[in-house]
Amino acid sequence: MKPSRQQKIFGVFNIAFFTFIALAMLIPVLFVLSRSFDAMATGLSTLLIPRKFSTFYYRLILTDKGIYRPFLNSMFITMVGTGLAVFLQAMGAYTLAKKDLPGHDFFIWMLIIPMLFGGGLIPSYLLNKALGLIDTYRILIISGLISAWNMFLIRNYYNSIPASLPESARIDGAQEFKVFLSIILPLSKPVIAAIALFEGVSYWNTYMTAVIYINSPEKYPFTVKLRQIISVQEDRRSDMQNLAGQEELLIQYLNNEGLGCAMIILSMIPIIIAYPYLQKYFTKGLMVGSIKG
Amino acid sequence: MEIATKTGIASDIKTSKKKKRRIFTSANIMLYLMFLPVVIYYIIWAYVPMPGIALAFADFRTGGFKRWVGLENFEFIFSLPFFWKAFANTWIYIGLRYLIGFPAPIIFAILLNELRQQKFKKTVQTISTLPHFLSWVIVSGIWITLLSPSAGFINALRHAIGLEPYFYVAEFRTFPLTFQVISEWKGIGYSSIIYLAALAAIDPEMYESAVLDGAGRLRQIWYITLPGLKPTILVLFVLSFRGILNLFEPLYVFQNSANIKTTEVLDTYIYKVGLVQARYSVSTAMGLFKSTVGLFFTLLANYFSKKVTEDGRGILF
Repeated sequence: MKPSRQQKIFGVFNIAFFTFIALAMLIPVLFVLSRSFDAMATGLSTLLIPRKFSTFYYRLILTDKGIYRPFLNSMFITMVGTGLAVFLQAMGAYTLAKKDLPGHDFFIWMLIIPMLFGGGLIPSYLLNKALGLIDTYRILIISGLISAWNMFLIRNYYNSIPASLPESARIDGAQEFKVFLSIILPLSKPVIAAIALFEGVSYWNTYMTAVIYINSPEKYPFTVKLRQIISVQEDRRSDMQNLAGQEELLIQYLNNEGLGCAMIILSMIPIIIAYPYLQKYFTKGLMVGSIKG
Repeated sequence: MEIATKTGIASDIKTSKKKKRRIFTSANIMLYLMFLPVVIYYIIWAYVPMPGIALAFADFRTGGFKRWVGLENFEFIFSLPFFWKAFANTWIYIGLRYLIGFPAPIIFAILLNELRQQKFKKTVQTISTLPHFLSWVIVSGIWITLLSPSAGFINALRHAIGLEPYFYVAEFRTFPLTFQVISEWKGIGYSSIIYLAALAAIDPEMYESAVLDGAGRLRQIWYITLPGLKPTILVLFVLSFRGILNLFEPLYVFQNSANIKTTEVLDTYIYKVGLVQARYSVSTAMGLFKSTVGLFFTLLANYFSKKVTEDGRGILF
């Protein structure tokens, strides 16, 4: 069937529309990328390539302990946090999947009630203070370590595994923990991968917890450091006019912008490396959730 | 991710039969041990802070507990103009989220689904989903750079067509709209995934017979695509009520002295009163107010979800 004229116009409009969208999505990142390599990162310019190519800002990050240390901190909490969160949630979900276990209903309610109601910011803060968790890496890992939603998602996947598989192992006398570790876990790779990626991204992006609990700059995740650099740059901008004669301050201001851009690009690298897997498993994660629980 | 709850997370409670069982068999003990870390975690970090809301009715500062004050803290916060301002601002962002943020990914998915060039479609999807995974700090960093009046790309475009530079991030009047556009940049691609999956499930034969009946693209969208999406739209609409007031990170990272009039929302204000000014009781009272409003919306979501899910079960119970 030949498409009508109206349909052709719609098709052309649609392609133009999504070309615009794709550009609008890409340009912000390309602009920041070009600025991060631009030694003359100033003035109004729509150029998406550096005017004077330089790796100055990247070298600055690699040589300044105050800037690269936060990246190492983020890597540390991401690795430890993700590993711990995935293991504890996968293991907890295994128990949740046993509908006939005495206490099952109690566990479910224990997980649901905090979704409705919580102590709020100050009671949590005072508790963590009493536990000596202020200004520690531990609090960055603990916060958000276990989420009921993730456990229900994993449990739903376990429920879709044919019961005959773990049953045969149990006849062989295997303990529940062994069944979980050697049969259920290997069979649940898609959902475990989805949760691991999800946790990895959220630990890498940790910000609010650090704002609340971390005081020492040497323990900052990179997000806090980056925000600091950006806000300094913003404050300077509001009195840019006053900077006209002050070369030193002006240079510092420019450094901040280029530095911020380079930090943004560096912080995106792990996300971009993980992105193909994110795309693959997130879609899967969205789907496994809809399997009946 | 949230669609997981379609079937109700407490769904199996109602189906489990009551019968006499031995509780502490060796298998069960192992299962309890496996769940123990979750129980400990929940008791310490979810349940222990709960009675802490009592602080809202006390005079409690960094020096410690002074006395019970009844509703004085509430009278105080309700008399604060800035508290109401922060409350109103919260609703500006929520309003824009429903006005623009909710329909945008639906339209995006429908139009993307109409693209016949598969490679192009895939490319657009790949590019538009990425920003979802970036933290708000990164997103704000990217956009503050892009919107800079002295060196940003957007103002360079404005300059090129002879317009004055506009300080998007500092203009408090237009900031909520600017923020919504940035939110779309971050989230539209990811949010549309679930709609695209729903679109893929619509029977292609329905379109074929519609074409035979002489229906154009727009009529097909209106009579086949939209009704096909309806269940997904309803479920996601209901789910979106959860955590509706949680706006700390997205707004805190954009705050500066110029835009504070419209970027101060309940969450950021509670943080500042509580931890920057260390007025623990006042902040807890504000938090209690916020979580009461939030609870109302969560219960509303649960109530409505019973009407929109196939099995009539709520998202929570």
